[in-house]
Amino acid sequence: MGKAEHAWRRGFSRRQAIAGLGSFLAASPLLHAQRDPWPLGSHRRFMGFDEIRDVFDFEPLFRANVPLSTYDYSAHGTESEFTLYRNRDAFDWVQLVGGGGVAPAAVDTSTELFGHAMPSPIMLAPTSRQRDLHPDGELGMYRAATTTATTMIVSNASSFPYTRIAEEADGPLWYQRYATRELDPNREALDAGQEAGAQTIVVTIDQQATLYERDLHVRHLGGRPREVTRRTRPNPPNPYRVGAGRLWYEWKLFDDLKPMCQVPMLAKGILTGEGAKKCLEHGVDGIIVSNHGGRSLDYGPSTLEVLEEVVDAVGDQIPVIIDSGFRRGTDVLKALALGADAVCLGRASRWGLGAFGEPGAQKVIEMINAELRQAMASVGAATLADINRTMVKTNFP
Amino acid sequence: MTVDRRESLRTFGAFVAGAAAPGQPTSSGGPQTGLLAPVLELVNATEFESMARLVLPPARYQTISGGHRRSFDKMTFRQRLMVYAMDLDLTTELFGYEMFAPIIVGPVANQGDLHADGELGTARGAAAAKAIMVATSESSHPIDQIVSASGEPVWSQVYAASGRAGDDAARAVAAGCKALCVTIGVSPDGAPIATNWDAVQQLTLAVNVPVVVKGIMSVGDARTALERGADGLVVSNHGGVVGGHSALPVDVLPAVADAVNGQVPILVDGSFRRGTDVLKGLALGATAVMVARPPMWGLAAYGAEGVQTVVEILQTELARNMAMSGRPTISMIDRELVRFDKW
Ligand SMILES: Cc1cc2nc3c(=O)[nH]c(=O)nc-3n(C[C@H](O)[C@H](O)[C@H](O)COP(=O)(O)O)c2cc1C
Repeated sequence: MGKAEHAWRRGFSRRQAIAGLGSFLAASPLLHAQRDPWPLGSHRRFMGFDEIRDVFDFEPLFRANVPLSTYDYSAHGTESEFTLYRNRDAFDWVQLVGGGGVAPAAVDTSTELFGHAMPSPIMLAPTSRQRDLHPDGELGMYRAATTTATTMIVSNASSFPYTRIAEEADGPLWYQRYATRELDPNREALDAGQEAGAQTIVVTIDQQATLYERDLHVRHLGGRPREVTRRTRPNPPNPYRVGAGRLWYEWKLFDDLKPMCQVPMLAKGILTGEGAKKCLEHGVDGIIVSNHGGRSLDYGPSTLEVLEEVVDAVGDQIPVIIDSGFRRGTDVLKALALGADAVCLGRASRWGLGAFGEPGAQKVIEMINAELRQAMASVGAATLADINRTMVKTNFP
Repeated sequence: MTVDRRESLRTFGAFVAGAAAPGQPTSSGGPQTGLLAPVLELVNATEFESMARLVLPPARYQTISGGHRRSFDKMTFRQRLMVYAMDLDLTTELFGYEMFAPIIVGPVANQGDLHADGELGTARGAAAAKAIMVATSESSHPIDQIVSASGEPVWSQVYAASGRAGDDAARAVAAGCKALCVTIGVSPDGAPIATNWDAVQQLTLAVNVPVVVKGIMSVGDARTALERGADGLVVSNHGGVVGGHSALPVDVLPAVADAVNGQVPILVDGSFRRGTDVLKGLALGATAVMVARPPMWGLAAYGAEGVQTVVEILQTELARNMAMSGRPTISMIDRELVRFDKW
């Protein structure tokens, strides 16, 4: 058994926690009888691979497969999780209108970004630590991406080094970076990534002071315990117990990184027209409208409701990509109609990988692509160029 | 699958710790402090509410539970991105005192039946979190003891409608209280009543510390309070217990702030539970936000340490969200930050 599998199998699952409790109770002289822990009414049959009908079906399978700490880390958002939910609500505020007249088989979703042809505007968002989801981790995700000719953005916090992932297959890869304040580590990482073939560099800007509360919750449930940083370990130098690791972010960062990028440089985490304009001023070649899947500032807007503002601010000067909450082909179509050039899948791809490994990730990508073709057919768009603003009606609050 | 004994004990321990949150009914009826999660494991203010529920008799718990999210859920932030925040600074001045953070522990009566330490616990906890505390005239401990239990400024709250307000105020000021908070619109036993502005004015004239009038829910109230000599206002509907107002204090805050136009500081309270809520209050014109129920959850379950932790959590959330929204100092927080949903 490989090291990766070993670590994965040793991870502590909810099932084990309950079994642990069960065996403790069984051995206890204080108790006379054991009860079935769950009422029969809540027993559910898990779906098999071929029974899956949409991307949401992967979620409970993923949940059942991984340790609760992994699930919590993946699923949750910051603080009250208002923005996490608003991301999904936003799709109800946009209606698809019009059309028909195109057969799904006749729909062509191909496009081009930064000179690279893509069969579809659907990409994989950078998400961290994928080996927690499945022993294959990013290697499996990348194989699935390559099979479907989907562009994958590799996270800075991947379980395998970028260079190792790049060797695994030959599809298009982008490289996401959390910048360090000292420039040298950035240079080294970006050099290595570009050498290994990264088509672009994505710089994520929205995690200055984020904290996922659920990481603390899981310690009750046998998850991998984390240190409580609050109170016990104030992160110097501020007296408010806020992790200071990224509080130094400024727009100037892009001026510093630009000379290190021989490939296009993107900013991920833009949510305002004002921010988009700053990107143009600082040499950014592309924008990802993102609230990190509800994991940056809580009570920030959903990405869909600010997309047009960002698109209007940059005009046709640079591509605008979007993520956060995308689960269906119609979600993708709505964003394209509001001006996005491409859409990234974060959790959806993690559900697929976590549920079935590489084939699951592949199936997620294929399903959303099939749904997109279906949706384009029903609004009467045979190509991405046919998609326009008149195909949606918006009623954002 | 086999699980060894040590592992089964470890998981059982984890299970028990987790079981505290849903609130198990207790057979003895007394406080089940053994079920409480260790205070350091709680991650937000509302988790303290479920701990308080475990230790308080249901009727007493009722009086300090709940809150209204509706108004906060209608406001989103429009952040400014990539603003340098290494010198994150929450300090702000109020009546000549530099507050560590603009969060004040608000007045709640009879804290002795929430926890044996009562107001003394609150005073110690608030001081440990470097927060101003407002003690009430209906306290379980004498005001001079509360003041000496705290190392931070203590304010005193009295009811305009109470016959002994003047005496209470004089005693509080003599004990060292740094400001007087005069509550209008409600009687000491919680019933809504009309405001006797003459009584308010008498109190403002009687003491030599700043007087804030608490219970402002309209621009008219605000103007009258200023005419009657208020040095500050607290936009408040007493935790939503009074009258038929459907608006929350945070809803009327912007209009009050516009009318007052910086003449006196404005405070606000009413269902603030998160750093994001506090940030909204500050953006809409408050100098500081009062929280009353959340620190009481902390007090009930953990005494002074609970009060301290709740206040610190709110401070940290506020600080984090100030950094994330591109407003790393209090003076940078402006109305542009908040966007109201249209529907
Ligand atoms: C578990 C998890 C880990 C993530 N890790 C990263 C990361 O390392 N770098 C990054 O730029 N974004 C990261 N993200 C954000 C995603 O790139 C993306 O913005 C977000 O997941 C999109 O929302 P969705 O999950 O609703 O699709 C992560 C998101 C999740 C859920």
